[in-house]
Amino acid sequence: MSSRILSRRTMLRGAAGGAAVALALPTLEAMLGSKDAKAAALPPIFGLFYWANGMPWHGAHGMMQAGNPDTWTPAATGPGYAPSKLLEPLAAYQPSVVTGLTPHTEVPGAPAGQGDGHMRGFMVAMTGDRIRPDGFDHPSHTLTALRPTLDQYVAKHPDFYGKNAPAYSSLVLGVSTARFHDYGHWNAISYNGPDSLNLPVQDPAQLFNMLFSVPQDLSKLTRRASLLDAVREDANDLRVRLGAADRIRLDAHLEHLNEIQRRLNLSSAACEAPGMPGSSNDLIARTEIMAELLAKALACNLTRVFSFMLTSPATTHVFNNLGVPNDMHATCHAGNWQAVYDITLYQMKAFSALLGKLATTIDATGASLLDRSLVFGTSEYGEGWQHSVAEMACVMAGKCNGALKTGVHVRDPDGNFSKAHVTMLRALGLDTPSFGFNGGETTEHIPGLLG
Amino acid sequence: MGAAFVLLAQACIGNLGGDDGGAKPGDPSKPGVYVAAEAVLPRLTELQFRSSLHDLLSPGVPMTATEPDTNPYLFDSIGATSTTLSELGVQQYEEAADAVTRYVFGDPLRRAALVGCQPASPGDACVTEFLQRFGRRALRRPLSAAELQRWTRVATDLAQPDAWEGLRLAVAGLLQSPSFLYRVELGEPDATKPGMRRLNGYETASRLSFLLWNTTPDDELLDAAARGDFDSPAGVATQVARLLEDKRATIAIRQFFAQFLDLGRLDGVTRDPANYPLYSDGMIEAMRTEVELVVDDIVANHRDARSIFSTRRTFVNSQLAALYGVEAKGADKTTFVPVDLDPGGPRRGILTLGAFLTMNAHETETSPTARGKYIRERVLCQTVQPPPPNVSTTLDPAPDGKPLTVRERLEEHRKNPACTGCHMFMDPPGFLFENFDSLGAYRTTLPGSLPVDSSGDLDGEPLADALGLTEMLENDERVGDCMVKQFYRYAHGRLDTSGEKLALEDLGARFTGSNYDFKQLIIELVTHESFRAVALPKENP
Repeated sequence: MSSRILSRRTMLRGAAGGAAVALALPTLEAMLGSKDAKAAALPPIFGLFYWANGMPWHGAHGMMQAGNPDTWTPAATGPGYAPSKLLEPLAAYQPSVVTGLTPHTEVPGAPAGQGDGHMRGFMVAMTGDRIRPDGFDHPSHTLTALRPTLDQYVAKHPDFYGKNAPAYSSLVLGVSTARFHDYGHWNAISYNGPDSLNLPVQDPAQLFNMLFSVPQDLSKLTRRASLLDAVREDANDLRVRLGAADRIRLDAHLEHLNEIQRRLNLSSAACEAPGMPGSSNDLIARTEIMAELLAKALACNLTRVFSFMLTSPATTHVFNNLGVPNDMHATCHAGNWQAVYDITLYQMKAFSALLGKLATTIDATGASLLDRSLVFGTSEYGEGWQHSVAEMACVMAGKCNGALKTGVHVRDPDGNFSKAHVTMLRALGLDTPSFGFNGGETTEHIPGLLG
Repeated sequence: MGAAFVLLAQACIGNLGGDDGGAKPGDPSKPGVYVAAEAVLPRLTELQFRSSLHDLLSPGVPMTATEPDTNPYLFDSIGATSTTLSELGVQQYEEAADAVTRYVFGDPLRRAALVGCQPASPGDACVTEFLQRFGRRALRRPLSAAELQRWTRVATDLAQPDAWEGLRLAVAGLLQSPSFLYRVELGEPDATKPGMRRLNGYETASRLSFLLWNTTPDDELLDAAARGDFDSPAGVATQVARLLEDKRATIAIRQFFAQFLDLGRLDGVTRDPANYPLYSDGMIEAMRTEVELVVDDIVANHRDARSIFSTRRTFVNSQLAALYGVEAKGADKTTFVPVDLDPGGPRRGILTLGAFLTMNAHETETSPTARGKYIRERVLCQTVQPPPPNVSTTLDPAPDGKPLTVRERLEEHRKNPACTGCHMFMDPPGFLFENFDSLGAYRTTLPGSLPVDSSGDLDGEPLADALGLTEMLENDERVGDCMVKQFYRYAHGRLDTSGEKLALEDLGARFTGSNYDFKQLIIELVTHESFRAVALPKENP
């Protein structure tokens, strides 16, 4: 990890990002007061950026899809690849990309429909496992995850935070509120396990208040924290009367309560607040607003894990700003390749906006947040016209404190998607002998990416 | 272990056979035996949480964000028993408890109105008396001695700077107790039926109150429970009659129908005014309101509930009047007036109104498949399987120069043997609505000046258009059975189990016997033994 000496001017320009923002005090102290510019890097950040409906289809997705150009896969492999048209918006941040990956999980025959990309591709990309089959008789053939999604897997991994958990083990954010169905992974991409969703915070003001509103009188927070002991006693009286399934639900509630209590007691680590955020209905502008708050939270070490759902699986977002009249899901089904290309390019520009905020926000050691980060960009399948799960999206942006090589394109046709999971978990320093489940197991990482 | 007993109300059950004596308790596969399902643990829905805070503290309490409800199998009540609360959700409960108690206890008048006495010192009689009274309302039963001691201790230990602050924090704690946030309706051994469990009076009061009012039980319900009124059917009936008379019951019934009819799918739907000149802002919301008013009218007047699919009576604002081309004196954008649709016209029942027609269509074209799927799944409670793997669910675009209609393209689609089964099930009833465009406007030609063909069928019965379908549905037993099944699921907060088949049949027969009066169905359901019977939960999921 190289150390960079930044001028104060550079730092403030990088951090301000438009709004009138005061930096968190520890950062200033570290920058201006410390002579030791080679201070050890702060621990890595793991982020997940999700966009809906994959990429525009082409021949590698299947025979039916042939005849359209591949606008995703870079022509050359290896370091320093020239970006494809759709990766062009990310080029400034030199992400590594792996192309050709696909789910290797089993697809049980019953109930029908488990091979569908919306479900299978999503679950493999996010959890490394197949879908939870229960729920196909739900009107929206809803199903939920069998296990935590990667953001929660990392956040809850005992070695990721160790004993130094920040205020939030993760932040779960979202931008577009359009959704295909009301329940399940159709409107949340972050899971703790079956029927345990983390719905994204999508309102900038709500996120601002959550992260940066701290009352003047901190002793009140301590008293709020201490009454939770009595809540827990009440819960324990109830717990013994419950069956196993409800006991699991209550135990999760109590674990969360412990987190809330810990956070209320962490009263001294208040961050200096950025300006009150604005709002916008444009997805890129809204991404910038949310990313600004996220970056401030990361710089202040309020968390080191986030997920960022630009659009939800099978999104019904109407991109009328791009002249596309129908919602995106319907547009994919209608086979409108050009519209899907335009929308995907737009979604990549939003991804770029997020990476840009991380790149220009500087932490206490003078490193950009992006240099500390590994941001995993993915979607639910390869393409949305036929729901092919061939050629799924896998972007890894950031240096992860030097553990991840940037600017490398690895081509692995029909490769097991979970190799990407193994790669990322190892880059984050988490001991990962293997990853993937129900046919998706692998011990291999993607060669050439780990630093 | 499940508990089983033969339903007492046998008169209405058709298939109670003579050989039930051999059925083993707990064996749900034996006909003629009702097997109670395990108790569930519903978390309060957003509405129930907010209404409870209002009723417990003060109507003006500030409302902060809480975890959104989920609606697996259509119903937020099922989400309430199956979804696990997230960390953010727990945090929001903590913040809500702090905010509402600061609102009440930060104001001398409000806190005096709530508490009714002045705590002189931490943990004094004023404090304990209030906690006892407040606790009974919040937890829907008297506090145990240990609980009273616990919350008095909180009020005492945290009484800084004064006893009021201690009391505030004790209330904030009670409002975060799982016994408040979750409805603990686990039942107790049934004295009259060995081996069975049954909700006690307080649990019955809680279940009734949250089902019919979406809020915590009032003192009258809790007093009735304390007196043992719920031990007699007459006692239950008295309370149910009182609850049903209240406006809150109307709202609760409306909410059930909105979920049963999947009106949430209207959220976020828009139409481009360039393509739909009759469309204007607020119209989709008006469509939802229209369905609610149609349902309210039929339920309030004890008419056949199935007639929501065939009634000529509807309620329109000015936007909908223009969409339907009907005269509606006094209607404006926010005022809905009753109208009786022309008997010679193309509309009768909610399937010919804006909400259904719009939410089952795309911006650029209708979707007979989506409309037919709704008839199958929502109206008739049938199940449509998802498409098999590796099958294109895309309609091939029309070849250049030959405008193929949706009907013709679906016919092509059905030539694929993998698709034909489900599409033959869904599309023919969906075609009956082809004379309504994606906004629900009546049309006689399709884009490209092609004539509309609205013929189709239901289960092989050929029909000319949607009017024929609504006539069929008018007397279709499946429509009433479907309502019973969905209301049962909604009321119990879970899917029905095979062991409950008899209860559903019995309720169906009673619904039929009442000429499909939905209010009577509610009374039958909540006074039915199946409403209160529960099995012990399993040790292993």
